[in-house]
Amino acid sequence: MELDLQNPLTTHQDLQYDGVPSLFANESDHMPSLLSFHASGFRCSIRRTALSLISQVKFAYNLDPFLVYLSFNYVDRFLSTQEILEKRPWIAHILVVASLSLAAKMRNSDLSISLSDLQREDGFEFDSQSVRRMERILLSTLRWRMRSITPFSFLQYFISLLEIEDHSLTQCLKHRASEIIFTVQQELKLLEYKPSTIAASALLCAIHDLTPPAFSSSHSAITSCEYVDKDTLSECFGVMQEMTREGYGLSLDESACATVTQISVLDTSVEGTSSSGPGFPESDNVKRRRLNGFYDNDRTFKISQIQQCN
Amino acid sequence: MDKYEKLEKVGEGTYGKVYKAKEKATGQVVALKKTRLEMDEEGVPPTALREVSLLQMLSQSLYVVRLLCVEHVDNKNGKPLLYLVFEYLDTDLKKFIDSHRKGPNPRPLPPQLIQSFLYQLCKGVAHCHSHGVLHRDLKPQNLLLDKDKGILKIADLGLGRAFTVPLKSYTHEIVTLWYRAPEVLLGSTHYSTAVDMWSVGCIFAEMVRRQALFPGDSEFQQLLHIFRLLGTPTEKHWPGVSSLRDWHVYPQWEPQNLAPAVPSLGPDGVDLLSKMLKYDPAERISAKAALDHPYFDSLDKSQF
Repeated sequence: MELDLQNPLTTHQDLQYDGVPSLFANESDHMPSLLSFHASGFRCSIRRTALSLISQVKFAYNLDPFLVYLSFNYVDRFLSTQEILEKRPWIAHILVVASLSLAAKMRNSDLSISLSDLQREDGFEFDSQSVRRMERILLSTLRWRMRSITPFSFLQYFISLLEIEDHSLTQCLKHRASEIIFTVQQELKLLEYKPSTIAASALLCAIHDLTPPAFSSSHSAITSCEYVDKDTLSECFGVMQEMTREGYGLSLDESACATVTQISVLDTSVEGTSSSGPGFPESDNVKRRRLNGFYDNDRTFKISQIQQCN
Repeated sequence: MDKYEKLEKVGEGTYGKVYKAKEKATGQVVALKKTRLEMDEEGVPPTALREVSLLQMLSQSLYVVRLLCVEHVDNKNGKPLLYLVFEYLDTDLKKFIDSHRKGPNPRPLPPQLIQSFLYQLCKGVAHCHSHGVLHRDLKPQNLLLDKDKGILKIADLGLGRAFTVPLKSYTHEIVTLWYRAPEVLLGSTHYSTAVDMWSVGCIFAEMVRRQALFPGDSEFQQLLHIFRLLGTPTEKHWPGVSSLRDWHVYPQWEPQNLAPAVPSLGPDGVDLLSKMLKYDPAERISAKAALDHPYFDSLDKSQF
């Protein structure tokens, strides 16, 4: 059965399931890390390109928003942990193709046509072997933790704390909060918050929008929950409020790396070594490990291979 | 696989050979399990991806053998195969029970140890069931032990749904029937978590007896072993039993008292065992409920 982001830890809907503690216990394993994005401008630039590519496919092919969310979660987690030594423009492209492909497999949907169209359109075509190899790198980097715990996994739980009897209202709140979660995924500032914190903040934003009088009681219901840190929640809620106030129409380029000043693709410092210019010649004396046989035409793909079993 | 030095073959898992190996870089001893999951031109097959990521998630529990990583290895035809790399534990419950039955010093398993192993087993099974995963092949060989720490962990788990449990393993070894639930033996197509609880009951009894409770060598004989002890099931005790696919007319046996079959077990233990061996799957105790059974009252649960 395919992965359901609202219910990632279980595979049988009909089973008695009390997975809330495991969700909270394991969510940190599925988080990108903000630090890695501050540390390197190149990561951020890949992130921005990847985000705009994924959004492009999303709109062109009307993709399942959960699939899109999941693939972007993979991209973010990959960029958080993987050291990228080779600054080639196509890294973002192959990363997007592999992430979408894996997310589609997890969600059990067929993407093969849109993926090949995407590659043709943006001028980066990869042979299937390269894509499969990138999938493998992605899987190893994420340690096969592909059943991502995302903010969607916590919405139902937080809604249940509110004890709202009106079913249509809970549906509206869930819908609105989901919308917010989809929108804020691109916001770099929010990467430091756990998925549960994002979920609780999005729900509070939704309540604030839809039923303002219920806000203060809902706020105290959620903050009194044992898993929630009150201060972190109000911080995150503040950031989110600001974003939603600014409107949803944030253009990708402005928002994807909104919190990083001076991003430059030409930021060339790599582990203290500086390469000699925008071309990043092969003679870089940065220690690299070559992935055997991973070629995209004449380009060699060199991402430092990770140690999986430390 | 250059990263690992194979030390010895330690067994045949339900799905393939298992090797004890050493990771060269760190010296860490691991269990390498070769799967039959082949990549095709589409890369990692979706079912394999979903199963392995599920396994990865389940192995976060203390009572499930930890999946350390997954390796891709090219086979002779150049097709990548998946190897699962697990933590290595030095013995399993079958060997442990054998060592108490045979050899220089035959002796019963200490009752506190049986209680502790059963509790950990129920914890692990409850964890899997809460994630919607059935094991379907629980048996003493699949329960690995850290003897020094007294820890029990469930192994050989997770790939059960993409690859239905075969009657014969790929090496043509007969898959044991001793722990198989009656509804499975009778051809029920709708299994539930109760199939694992039947196995847990059989394993519980085996720890006490130091020999299998129902050692059948064919499906038919397996059923007769069960019926002789628990009585031939009737529609009254198990509604729907006579409409199961492989139901036949069997000799009529009356249910026997369970206690003589597990002589050293006290009344609470016998009561828990009888609840694990209920014919009607709907009546069989769940792993979660078993954890609260009075049998475990004397156990120090704070250690788990």
